[in-house]
Amino acid sequence: MGPQHPSTHGVLLVVLEMDGEYVLDPQPVLGFIHRMHEKMGESRPCQGFMPNTARMDYVCALPYNHGYVSLIERKAGIEVPKRAEYIRVITSELNRVASHLLWLGAYLLDLGAFTPILYGFDDREHILDILEDVTGSRLTYCYYRFGGVYQDIDDKFVESTRAFIKRLRKRFDIYEKLVTKNIIFIKRAENIGIISRDMAIRYGITGPNLRGSGIAYDIRKNEPYSVYPEFDFEVPVGERGDCLDRYMVRVREMEQSLRIIEQALDTLPDGPVRSKVPKKIKLAPGDCNFAVEAARGELSYYLVGDGTSVPYRLKIRVPSYSNLSCLPELGEGILLPDLVSIMGSMDLVIPEIDR
Amino acid sequence: MGTYENFKTNVRNLGGDVTETDFYQRGYHLDVVLTVNTVREFAQTAYDQGFYLVFVTGFHVLPENNAGIKTSGLEVVYQFAMFDRLCRVKARVSVPEDLTVPSICHIYQGANWHERETRDFYGIRFSDHPNLEPLLLCEEDKDYHPLLKEEKKLKSFEEVSWPAQHPDMADIQIEPSSDV
Repeated sequence: MGPQHPSTHGVLLVVLEMDGEYVLDPQPVLGFIHRMHEKMGESRPCQGFMPNTARMDYVCALPYNHGYVSLIERKAGIEVPKRAEYIRVITSELNRVASHLLWLGAYLLDLGAFTPILYGFDDREHILDILEDVTGSRLTYCYYRFGGVYQDIDDKFVESTRAFIKRLRKRFDIYEKLVTKNIIFIKRAENIGIISRDMAIRYGITGPNLRGSGIAYDIRKNEPYSVYPEFDFEVPVGERGDCLDRYMVRVREMEQSLRIIEQALDTLPDGPVRSKVPKKIKLAPGDCNFAVEAARGELSYYLVGDGTSVPYRLKIRVPSYSNLSCLPELGEGILLPDLVSIMGSMDLVIPEIDR
Repeated sequence: MGTYENFKTNVRNLGGDVTETDFYQRGYHLDVVLTVNTVREFAQTAYDQGFYLVFVTGFHVLPENNAGIKTSGLEVVYQFAMFDRLCRVKARVSVPEDLTVPSICHIYQGANWHERETRDFYGIRFSDHPNLEPLLLCEEDKDYHPLLKEEKKLKSFEEVSWPAQHPDMADIQIEPSSDV
């Protein structure tokens, strides 16, 4: 299956050992778009690596920006103005909604429903337009800077974001009628690909894939960073841990993201959006870790400094890598169409896995 | 604080060196130094306590030659965290000269890919690994390890570690969150 199969969402090859329609042993083959981001991170000053962060997970790039700037800020002891942190949260959450909308459409497309992706792209387009105005790009953002953000948001951004939130809330009803209550969809997703707690621990599964199994683990709550503790939001969880639960978790997460954005817009403080940062940032000797909640789970940057501005070691722990690694166990002895459903429900982004 | 204290005691009992660190400075709570013989026992202890595997990776510094005992200069770095409470653990083990470290993928199956990736990037072998083939790099580059540093760029371990902790710092350690 792959590397050009439509339901692998990128260049991923899965070698399947089959018995008729039953999958005996699915083994993913990675590395088709491996770019050695870690080496790039270790061979240039930390500012120069900023654009790379968005090229890993191009669907949800802002949390990748967020993790990297926060890591350097923690390492170099840089203060960030409050307004900048609010803007980071607002834009990151918008990006998360865009990512979930894209996933929703793509997953349903995998299952044979063509219409939802058109609705999903329609809504996502609004977010891309909003973000393009402030960040300057539509997908591979490089908006955050060490000590703040590139530029302030304006009234137009606030207005269009509020209008979008209003619009998306209405659209949720359409999605519910079209997808959530659709009997064909439920039959394809219910009780398929059940991830247990033990399995999540053994493979390091995080994000909505984990929360579908009833474990309320969200870095935004469990290891609070930025200004997330100031907002009131829930961490939706499922019960069984099957594909349907993972779907429900993501749909409910979109609503929670909208709540965070609304609160942040209401309480947006005034002030500067960027603090004074030396041109050459010295990374003191010693290691440092920073974890953020990306749309697909835990993203960890692990850095070792050596006193220069070039990181001595930069390890990037991406969520989809660990999430996909459970496929051989999860996909053992199931029907081939169910494997497509499982892989779709995992929300894989291949450039992120291969790095 | 039961399980947290238990975990520290268990790791110390199997010969691991445990140091508490400042979370707001480093982003993890415990720094564990292991030997190759205790890697598996440590992984089993972490698994029993409910830690999940965050990542496995390598690290390359200048080899040392202490009183005739040579090191390879390579390290394997593990990171674990917990779902129910805030506790992040970094564990590291110095790789002996034969570049072989026991695999932990019989305890944490997720380590399978991480260890293959570490072999790709650093050439560290993991004994008893079921399938230690190239994962992210291609078959032809099997003997090419991109993250090994050139000799002139290598730094000693002291140059890339935190300065030794001031004794006064021990009092203001931030404990991980209590049991949920």
